[in-house]
Amino acid sequence: MTEEARQARRTTVAATEGLLAIPPLLVGEGDDIVEVLQRAAAQPQTRLIGVVDAASGRLVGVIPVVRLVEAVVARVAPELAMAELADAEDVARFGHDVETRTAADAMLPPAALPREATLEEAYRLMEARGLSGLYVVDELGRPVGYLDLLELAIVYLHALEAGGDDPAPGRRPAS
Amino acid sequence: MDAPLAAAIFLATYALIASDRLDRTAVALLGGLAMIALHIIDQEAAFAAIDLNVLFLLAGMMILAGILRRTGFFQLVAIRAVKIAAGDPVRLLIVLSLVTAVLSAFLDNVTTVVLVAPVTLYIARSLRVSPVPFLISEVFASNIGGTATLIGDPPNILIGSASGFGFVDFLVTLGPPVVVILGASLLALRFAFAAEIEVHAEARDRVLALDEREVVTDPRLLRVSLAVIGATLVGFLLEGPLGLGSATIALLGATVLILLARVDPVEVFSEIEWPTLFFFVGLFILVGGVVQAGLVAGVADLLLRITGDNQAVATIGLLWLSGIASGVIDNIPYTTAMLPIVERLGHNGLQTEPLWWSLALGASLGGNATLVGASANVVVANLAARAGHPISFRTFLGYGLLVVACSLAISSLYLWFRFLG
Repeated sequence: MTEEARQARRTTVAATEGLLAIPPLLVGEGDDIVEVLQRAAAQPQTRLIGVVDAASGRLVGVIPVVRLVEAVVARVAPELAMAELADAEDVARFGHDVETRTAADAMLPPAALPREATLEEAYRLMEARGLSGLYVVDELGRPVGYLDLLELAIVYLHALEAGGDDPAPGRRPAS
Repeated sequence: MDAPLAAAIFLATYALIASDRLDRTAVALLGGLAMIALHIIDQEAAFAAIDLNVLFLLAGMMILAGILRRTGFFQLVAIRAVKIAAGDPVRLLIVLSLVTAVLSAFLDNVTTVVLVAPVTLYIARSLRVSPVPFLISEVFASNIGGTATLIGDPPNILIGSASGFGFVDFLVTLGPPVVVILGASLLALRFAFAAEIEVHAEARDRVLALDEREVVTDPRLLRVSLAVIGATLVGFLLEGPLGLGSATIALLGATVLILLARVDPVEVFSEIEWPTLFFFVGLFILVGGVVQAGLVAGVADLLLRITGDNQAVATIGLLWLSGIASGVIDNIPYTTAMLPIVERLGHNGLQTEPLWWSLALGASLGGNATLVGASANVVVANLAARAGHPISFRTFLGYGLLVVACSLAISSLYLWFRFLG
């Protein structure tokens, strides 16, 4: 592993989030799912919605945009969702989607890291959870930023370029 | 020395399977292999005890159901059933249950209930009623419907192979009582659930808006699958004149469908429930060891003494014993263990035909008693819980005992008048 790659892995989340200026999108647990989808449509660059507790402001869950879409499709065009079901796992998820009415119904467990966490930790968390982003939280668990997978990729890309990796055949290396 | 050791291995294996603490396939294989490793049975005899007819029949039907599942067929049939019922919840309960019963008679129970469930969950949400009455009724219907044919339930496949009874024998003998049992059960459930499924008229319009054409993912594959499965069923009906075994017919159908469907065989074969097949392998070797050790003879002789060598007592007794046992433990290991016992009872002078049918009815119908009595029950309970509608053991037990008592009572009368009167 090159020194640039090592440095990239140790780069903190705080130094990375904001590279693409993707703002967090936060909703309340009791917010209607249609309203949540409308807000997501108005801010399409944020692919992971944060759900916060109204009283404490703490992050209590996350909703990937695709999950939101599945919940709405299950209500509006159930045949479309039913056609793709292959096993009991799919059916259970469909059954849950049919019942989804609020952000709390749709949310997954929170996916968050503190500002001082490294990109390596962030990548592992996103990979393990199958998410394309995560929330940066303070010591009280309140969201203070948003890290997208692309921002993380940009840091690694810079490391790749700085490390002088061989370009594809016939192509000049990036300057 | 062999007999006590074989008994200990057998009981320990079955206890572990019943406890659900460890994977049942691994436990069954370990038990069977222990019989070989401890020289209770040698490898040659152990492998000879594996009933390949059962394994290949199961595999063939798994392939057929697996390919059909990709087409949206089950969802299509369920939506059509919803339209036939015109959104009336009581009619919905009955029609969806009937559809589940018929499909389960010819295809895998678990696949049937799982793929009818999404339509059930959707219409229940639309009607603003709990899906639990519908799901419970469908589970009961799948186990009852599966009792009617050779291929409807794994215990029947086991019994068919051991007894030599074919598809037509099962249909002709068990079809009539199953129809009566299904009717009586649905009538009872209709009254039991009536208060829970009342809806307003305007809610019904929402469910009638479902378009069944939209769930069909591959119309060509659907047509081809139905044609091949239909031909396979005809093959089962003609297995006698054709001189072919049921496993050959099932595999023939599966292979033809793989070729005509132009699906990736690797994908298809990966969908075979290999753990289930190896579960059977383990059980066959385990029971083979028990037979080799002479335990079966002893148990059969004991049963003969208890029943006083009386055909009627043995037949009805086996029915209720099987019904009760299957409600508590998996009916596959129970049936596998009972096969050599029934054969032995035949050698000792009892007529085996009534005993085989008694075992078939009891082992399949008894699975409705509890939430863990059959695979379909467990799977539906899990997905209902994840969909936000948990079905408690106690709730299911209340309805399950009613249905099983009714089923076994009707079966007793049927066996009496058909074979014993």
